[in-house]
Amino acid sequence: MSSMIRRRRDGTFIQAFHSGISTLLVDLGDQLDDMLDSDTPELRRLFPTAYTDDEEKDAGYQILARSSLTDQRRAAIETVRRTAENEVLTEDELTDWMALTNDLRLVLGTRLDVSEDDDGSEIDPTSPEANLMEIYHVLGAVLHEIVAALSSALPRGGTD
Amino acid sequence: MFTPIGTSLVADPILPDAAQEAEGDTLVATDLPWMVIVWNDPINTTFYVTFVFQKLFGFSKKKAERLMLDVHEKGRAVVSSGDRTEAEADVHKLHGAGLWATMEQQSS
Repeated sequence: MSSMIRRRRDGTFIQAFHSGISTLLVDLGDQLDDMLDSDTPELRRLFPTAYTDDEEKDAGYQILARSSLTDQRRAAIETVRRTAENEVLTEDELTDWMALTNDLRLVLGTRLDVSEDDDGSEIDPTSPEANLMEIYHVLGAVLHEIVAALSSALPRGGTD
Repeated sequence: MFTPIGTSLVADPILPDAAQEAEGDTLVATDLPWMVIVWNDPINTTFYVTFVFQKLFGFSKKKAERLMLDVHEKGRAVVSSGDRTEAEADVHKLHGAGLWATMEQQSS
């Protein structure tokens, strides 16, 4: 997959992913939407602990963060639903595509218990999780494309 | 600590802990900065983490890459520090981006 997204002079982006990719993001986004209010351990990477050594402070953080992080994630899912068939995306819309893609990787990677060395080269096709592992790696490739495109829109410089 | 939902993510950032108050040395305990730490994880890619550091904190590519390498190779990196409210806001942004961030108060 090379350069599926191109930044235009007006700051918008043209995406040329296969339609199967946006369908996949919408389908998995719907599933994530249904899971977001549950307490399945697969979501733990979406709502991490902030205070590791203070349960009381962390409980206070979680009360507020859980709902705002859930809202933020639902908003990204909704953006992808709404723009799935658009060729042209704004920077904000593409940022939501990136957020959803990364969230899906976090949930799938947690379910698959991936290690840092899983680069997709050794998927055992007979494994019951082979399909999920393949999706995980497709999402990785999509994420890379989106991050590359959005990186080109970052302001030059920044603090050292 | 079941505080009503308000606009601030920090429920009571100014109030010192009761125990510290009793000891009478609240200034030392509450004034130390909080550090925001990002931990290595097997899912987020190095490319993505570098981008998030640039985007969220306005770091140069060089600084973002250095911090990413610290996370990747040393297992963790301090990416920002400040009072409790500021640190919590940064942790919240990092959690929104799917990074594994925690905060802890600098020990004296």
